[in-house]
Amino acid sequence: MRFKGLLAAVLLVFASASVALAQSDCTKIVPPSPWGPNDETGATNRVTPAVTKAAAAEIQEGKVVPMSWILKDGIPLFGTRFTKTILTATSLAAGGAFGENELTYMEDTWLSQSHVGTHLDGMGHIGRKDCYFNQIAMGKYINQNYITKLGLEHLKSFATRGVLVDAVRVFQAAGKLKSNPACRKPCLDKGTVITAADIQAGLKMYNVTLREGDIVVVHTGWGDLFDQFPAQNATFNSGEPGIGKDAAKWLISQKVVAVGADQWAVEVIPGEDPKEAFIVHNLLITDNGIHILENVRTDLIAEEAARTHRGTFFFNMTVPRAYGLTGNFVGIDGIR
Amino acid sequence: MAGLAGEATGVERRFTIAFANLTEEPGVLLEGTGFTGREVRESFALAARAYPVDLVFYDNHNDAHRALANAEDAIARKVDLYIQYFRDSAVNAEIARKLRGADIPVLAVNYPVPGAPLYTADNSAAGRVGGEALGRFGSGAWKGQPVVAVLIGPLGAQADRIPERAQGVVEGLKSHLPTATVTRIDTRGDPAQVATLLGRFLAANPGRKILVAAMDDTTALAAKSVLEASGRLADGAIVSHGVDRSIHGGMSDHKEIDPSNRGSIVIGSVAFYLDRYGYDVLPLALQLLRGEPVPPRTATHHKLITAANVFIEYPPYDMQ
Repeated sequence: MRFKGLLAAVLLVFASASVALAQSDCTKIVPPSPWGPNDETGATNRVTPAVTKAAAAEIQEGKVVPMSWILKDGIPLFGTRFTKTILTATSLAAGGAFGENELTYMEDTWLSQSHVGTHLDGMGHIGRKDCYFNQIAMGKYINQNYITKLGLEHLKSFATRGVLVDAVRVFQAAGKLKSNPACRKPCLDKGTVITAADIQAGLKMYNVTLREGDIVVVHTGWGDLFDQFPAQNATFNSGEPGIGKDAAKWLISQKVVAVGADQWAVEVIPGEDPKEAFIVHNLLITDNGIHILENVRTDLIAEEAARTHRGTFFFNMTVPRAYGLTGNFVGIDGIR
Repeated sequence: MAGLAGEATGVERRFTIAFANLTEEPGVLLEGTGFTGREVRESFALAARAYPVDLVFYDNHNDAHRALANAEDAIARKVDLYIQYFRDSAVNAEIARKLRGADIPVLAVNYPVPGAPLYTADNSAAGRVGGEALGRFGSGAWKGQPVVAVLIGPLGAQADRIPERAQGVVEGLKSHLPTATVTRIDTRGDPAQVATLLGRFLAANPGRKILVAAMDDTTALAAKSVLEASGRLADGAIVSHGVDRSIHGGMSDHKEIDPSNRGSIVIGSVAFYLDRYGYDVLPLALQLLRGEPVPPRTATHHKLITAANVFIEYPPYDMQ
């Protein structure tokens, strides 16, 4: 009886193990990293000291332009996503102060999912089946709390040049802008595909040639709906303008570090092929280790670029380096 | 022929294609499914993004005069191709004559237009897919037990070709359960009748397993409620037709056909893809415009959508 029980337990362990270890042949599903078989850093490998030094030349006036939204109650979140803070302020109660100097303090408990507000998609965020960047079979590297490969702690700096592509102006110049009535300022409507030609036209508009290690930020105007939270949250979340597959492939060929935009997925939604799911995420993150930056605030930098006829800036971004995260909300400034 | 001008200059020519929709009246459902004309129209707009195409949309309002006026307007606009979605064969013949006179090629959707290639739902094939799924389930899970089958929905709706769908279901079902008795419950287009009529049937068939072939998703969900209310969930299995948004959702709005709901008695629903017509029809239109051969009839590839493949077939995008 006891032996049977033990045998059953052993069999159960083996059965569970075989399920846990079931995995795809990732060498057939995801390309290898150009930085070697052990690479968990991805495209931030491109941010070399030379790249950062060259980007520093963008700081000419010392003007800092905010490029992230404030994370607070009411901003658009998807589905069941949440972000909530709980304030601890007990020492403010009568008699709660400490010592003769009557020190008081407050702190926060932060209950939040990481992909909220202006945020970075890390390489542990998106895969094909169980295969993630650099052919890593992630099934072996996850537990209840975090990922043990491809976490944000492996990233290098994002201190590089930012390049704005003002898709609104590109579409206006081409006479093809179809705005959404909910936008207070001109915006591309949801479902509008931004092509490689549109990106190239946007670069030409500010006479920019992309360099290896750049971060490209696309202004679609859709972020105006985010700014109107909560009134336009449903419209904001219902779809978005964004880059299509050929734009993604062209940006990959330009060896950028990240692609950002002022909407929630960077890529066009609904997608170009209704049977593909977030395919640009796969192309950029899974296949190439290129990060995606969502809900970037682009209106101020777009105004600045239009005013000065300069579309480049020093990209200053802080990524909290908590271990094993698939992404995180970030603070971004464009410094000029 | 039409494409030659573009080929000569080396620049791909843009075509103006008119799509005259059956009706876009809110709430009016098409082809015995839960889809509306607006969803059909949107599918054309979304699909057109990938092609050198400018679309002109018309709403035929299910009205012969409007349909003729729309075709005349398209002729005046000199569109390159006309896609006609209208039920009346006499009107379609007249429109074909007018467009032929203007040298404008035509594609027909769901209802033939003389001389035009047809893209259409295949109700017989869809019904067979549904019937086979039900029959497979019944002959496997309930082998040796008393099983009866029910066809339920607007069974007499000729205009929506529901009788063809129902016949297909019977053929598919009988291929697995040749001796199964099939009862027809016609709701005459009123889903509210499902409770009364199916409830009565369940009461008359205690101790039997019930295979329910619902003609549309609304009927399927109503049938599930009736089985639940009767305490007969364990006795029922349902297959539906349509796969509209009432029965499948995304990551957040969990609905009946959902990966997290694999135990549902709704085995699946046969897809009619009216929300993807544009993706199927526009390539045919471009083939026609480029002088490439187009088959006289192209049918929707109906597929059973279940909890196991719904997110593959309809990838959700309510996550980021």
